Amino acid sequence: MANFRRFRPDDLNKLSKCNLDPLTETYELGFYLQYYAKWPSLFQVAEDQHGNIIGYIMGKVESSPDVYKFSEHYLPWHAHITAVTVAPEARRLGIGKLLTEQLEAAADANNAFFVDLFVRSTNYKAITFYKSMGYSIYRVVKDYYGDHSSDPTQHSEDAYDMRKPMKRDLKKEHIRENGEEFEVDPSDVW
Amino acid sequence: MSSYARYARPALKNSVDVPLQTAFSDGNWPTVIRLADKRFKTFKDPYYEAIKISAEFQLDGTAEKCAVLVAIDALLKQKSAPDLDTLELYEWAARDFLEDIDYSDTLGPLRARWVKANPKSPAAVQCLQSCLEFWDLVSAQQIAATLDKTYLNSSDRRYMFWSVTLTFLLSVSPQCSEASRKVYSLLALRQLERAAEITEKSTKVEATDRGLLTEEEIYLYFRVLLAHGTKDAYIISLYSSKLGALSQLKAGRKVLFWEALDVLETWGKWDIISDLCRGALNLGLEGATPTFYVCDLRIWKKFALAASKAANEESALSEVKAILKKFIGMKTKANEMYKKNISLASLEIAFRLPATILNPSPDHKGLTSRVVQVGLFLENYFDRLSAFDDIKDFVAQFTFEESKTFMEHVVATMLAQSADKSKHIILKVLECKFRYLLATCPQTLSHHPSVVDGQKQDKPYQCRFCANLTSLPCEHCLKQVIIEAVDTHKQIAGDPELIGVIPKLDRDPRLDLAIVIGNALLKLASLRGQVSDVAPSPLRDVNPALYLQAVLLLDTQLKETPSDTGLRLLLVKLYLLLGCASYAYQIWIPMDVKRTIQDALSPIFFDRISTISPGMFQGSRPLMEPLRTYYSNSFRDSCPLRIWDAFSSGSYSSILDLTEYDSGLRRSCTLMMTQVEERRATRCYGGKLDGGIDDSPFTEDIVDGTTLVNKTDYGSFPNLESFHGPPIQDFVRLGPELSNQRAHLAFLTEQYLDLLAFKPPKDYKPAKANEVAIKDRNYILETLSRLSNSLTEFIHQKETAALLTAPEMTYYTVISLLSAGLLTSLSTSRADPVPKTLPLLSSSIRSAFASLRTSFLTTPSALPDTYYSLTNMHAMAYVRDTALAMKHSAAFVFGFHEKELARDRSGKSSLHKEAVAEMKALDAVAAKALVEIKRHIQKLKESLGEGGWLDRMLEWTFGADEDADGDGDEVAKAVSDVVGGHAGAEEWAGKVLESWRDGVKGWGMVKME
Ligand SMILES: CC(C)(COP(=O)(O)OP(=O)(O)OC[C@H]1O[C@@H](n2cnc3c(N)ncnc32)[C@H](O)[C@@H]1OP(=O)(O)O)[C@@H](O)C(=O)NCCC(=O)NCCS
Repeated sequence: MANFRRFRPDDLNKLSKCNLDPLTETYELGFYLQYYAKWPSLFQVAEDQHGNIIGYIMGKVESSPDVYKFSEHYLPWHAHITAVTVAPEARRLGIGKLLTEQLEAAADANNAFFVDLFVRSTNYKAITFYKSMGYSIYRVVKDYYGDHSSDPTQHSEDAYDMRKPMKRDLKKEHIRENGEEFEVDPSDVW
Repeated sequence: MSSYARYARPALKNSVDVPLQTAFSDGNWPTVIRLADKRFKTFKDPYYEAIKISAEFQLDGTAEKCAVLVAIDALLKQKSAPDLDTLELYEWAARDFLEDIDYSDTLGPLRARWVKANPKSPAAVQCLQSCLEFWDLVSAQQIAATLDKTYLNSSDRRYMFWSVTLTFLLSVSPQCSEASRKVYSLLALRQLERAAEITEKSTKVEATDRGLLTEEEIYLYFRVLLAHGTKDAYIISLYSSKLGALSQLKAGRKVLFWEALDVLETWGKWDIISDLCRGALNLGLEGATPTFYVCDLRIWKKFALAASKAANEESALSEVKAILKKFIGMKTKANEMYKKNISLASLEIAFRLPATILNPSPDHKGLTSRVVQVGLFLENYFDRLSAFDDIKDFVAQFTFEESKTFMEHVVATMLAQSADKSKHIILKVLECKFRYLLATCPQTLSHHPSVVDGQKQDKPYQCRFCANLTSLPCEHCLKQVIIEAVDTHKQIAGDPELIGVIPKLDRDPRLDLAIVIGNALLKLASLRGQVSDVAPSPLRDVNPALYLQAVLLLDTQLKETPSDTGLRLLLVKLYLLLGCASYAYQIWIPMDVKRTIQDALSPIFFDRISTISPGMFQGSRPLMEPLRTYYSNSFRDSCPLRIWDAFSSGSYSSILDLTEYDSGLRRSCTLMMTQVEERRATRCYGGKLDGGIDDSPFTEDIVDGTTLVNKTDYGSFPNLESFHGPPIQDFVRLGPELSNQRAHLAFLTEQYLDLLAFKPPKDYKPAKANEVAIKDRNYILETLSRLSNSLTEFIHQKETAALLTAPEMTYYTVISLLSAGLLTSLSTSRADPVPKTLPLLSSSIRSAFASLRTSFLTTPSALPDTYYSLTNMHAMAYVRDTALAMKHSAAFVFGFHEKELARDRSGKSSLHKEAVAEMKALDAVAAKALVEIKRHIQKLKESLGEGGWLDRMLEWTFGADEDADGDGDEVAKAVSDVVGGHAGAEEWAGKVLESWRDGVKGWGMVKME
């Protein structure tokens, strides 16, 4: 029931199965297109037999701007998962995993040290999902999100910065075991 | 550089002194002007004059603004290379004007000229970027060609490919003159062919070679080849061992392979499709790619389809089967998704096999390999959310015997054998869905003589399942589906263990049951979507009780499962049909349709909204503002969004796709809908429109020949229908979906109304009144003639009638006739005989209008009066609009006539008596209709204000009281059980009623003049 392929702009007209789900954020057009313009091979989709998009991953490869070269928070050349989502009806079929693996392959092809991402600290499903694929918490970004996904009385929520080392990180220097204990401010991350 | 960057003030040359620099960066324009003027006089450097002109531009005043344009013009005439800093200054100064002045005639060529003179300067790339921002492809192509020549064999390969890409873009753009199109096409093609040849011949392509090296370069080559090369050349290249589709696949790149399959299919090259699919699958088997990387369902489908088209179909299919078998052998290692794809591939093949080799067992005619395969699939996947969708199209292909065996043996056995309670329920739900599906398949019915004993039968079929006589679909079976689904629903509700399990399931089975029941009720109610003799009201021939039962039941379910979007979308449509726009909106809002997805999803709620409930636009926030904002953000620049990102990253296929996407979005039917709905609503309340619709930046490039595109996304609707009939969205919509024709008709009509409404500003007193009057007259005649031609053209296209509701058809027909009538009236001189067409046009208008009016006013006997009116606002809206158009056209003629009389006392230029008389007749008819509508709305308002409405609603829904609680109507009773009886329905009835009242209140304030 599914095909995996690179994103095409026309897919934006077929996002309803993913994006009408409240857990999936809808961005401005320019945001999607920027990823397609700059990192087309890191924007992959899964479609069903009718052409509906039932999952996608959007990512980039970059390093921190040079001016931060000597900052302790400087990030070397790495891939970043900006968004990954699977339509509710297509979850638990391994689509999310396949999409992520494709991005990891692209990360290796781009010689990245690691793949990282931010996830709400209360998004247990997603955290379990990433952990099942070998991602671990690298640090906690305090109050990264300006709202709270499940508790309307709270005005912010922490993010976990999770990472998985890629082939280039031979000595596994870019991950750590006790990442939960490292807290940083949103201004420290890019 | 972001798209805002061009608004940043440019830095002045270093040589400029500090005081002037400071004044400039402070935006202290009077000082800048004074100082720059002084420096210019001292140094005679024209740069200072440019600073002065640009600063003057910042002050208000038309003369100062023109100075920049004059200066640019002077630079153009000079022929020498301009000074780049001066260009930067002018481009910044005139930034807001640049949309109006054509960049490609002014700054674009100047930048290209500068680059030619300074090809090595790093600023050359900025010039390219500027030209791209203004989407001046001609200048951009020239700059790119210059850069390529300058950096031949540089390791930055982008120069070469920018040039090729732009040459190609130009060759397919309207900016290219017809004379040069061919040249650019060939140029792009030849350059890439040469590059491909280099790659083919060399052992290793270096970054400095002019061959094809990167993935994106290869894609570009194939795109250009497809557009400008021959089919043969394309196919040969597809097989190239270095560049071809399979070699790309080996490198982990599917793009070309996918593209090629599409292309080859349109060419009908099935043998090549077959060849490529085989090759791809073998790559997986040989380990040249990860095994299952090639196991997309699409490959299997195409492979099987190609085999079914082969000369020796049987052996071709056996080959597909043999390959599939190898994958099945390795399936245990596959990701869940691929396992499923492989199972579906087995189905695909089973259904491609010719009927002769279906091989049914002699005692079981229906137990074919197809049924067995579907059964096997179900065994593995019945508890997956997508199970039904996955096999629905296969089941709908079953012969009747197969369906019977499938239901009575396969499904029944699975049900009998499932011990687990929750699994049993999931199967039960599936069974209901299949029953519904099969009821929508014509093969489950046999023809029955349509005339028996000289009597015409209204039930021309016999159902092969239940043997009852029926129309399509079988009512008896549908009722059975409802009763059974309700039973299952009750069974769940009465079983605490099951209730406890539900939160752990992927989906509440009651939701699916409700959707089945709702759909079956809608079918029973005869909601069948568009029929050819389009009824004026979508619910005219629909049984109100069954319809209301469906809505009530689905609404009750939404409270239980509020996060289900399919159910929500369905209800939005059903409430719109019912005339409950404000309630539909409450259901719509939580889906949070915003930003990018609006273009594809907004029509589901907004299309025709102004005709259902203009009052929706009276809220504190402009109803459709988010849509408008979306479009203005997306079209802020004339270039496609993010195009420079794609250029600078060397993403050539992205450049082509972004360009195409941008072009489609600018021609979106949703965009036209947004403007038209807003304007219609604004007019309803006498609001002020910001100019004519063709002044809007969104319609700038739209001409009759522009194809407007509908991209509405119905993918999330719960569609239980078989492919033999229309999908659900087609019958829950108020009329045909958005279309090019409807969008154009609406656009032209708005222009016509704009013309009628145009009044020169009050203080406009032209000096040469006579000359101006003649000019005005000519303009009016020209516009009318253009509009009349275009409207006639669109109305008469043969698809048009099927793309409009009946009231829309009348409305646009009348507008088209009015525009022709006006043209004749205004252009016939008093002295000449009135052309025969005029009375003809006028009588056509009157008779079209009369039939719309009658059909709107006559309630079908089967429907309660108020109910019919409330669900028929769309027709009323068009009676009003048509009447107003007639009235305003008449007023326009009278006004024109009087103006001419006043201007030329001789009366020579005033209008023909008969023309005026015809218009008076139209005016009278229209005035009468408008009074009628006013009265109609008033009556509705009074009626809704009466007491006893809740009871009446419940009666409409369930029939008279005794019935529902007694054993009268089995279906109504079943529904009533699910929704908690009358008590449960009351709250709902209250909401429906409130929404009707809201709607009528909104109508009450609508102007009738
Ligand atoms: C997170 C998400 C992308 C996972 O996609 P998916 O296709 O369902 O995931 P997969 O089937 O590939 O799961 C791979 C593994 O992740 C884990 N996993 C995934 N979803 C899980 C869940 N709901 N609970 C527990 N584990 C889960 C499992 O270990 C699973 O392997 P298994 O099925 O063999 O046990 C999907 O749930 C989703 O779209 N969520 C909403 C959007 C979101 O939160 N995105 C992440 C933002 S950073």
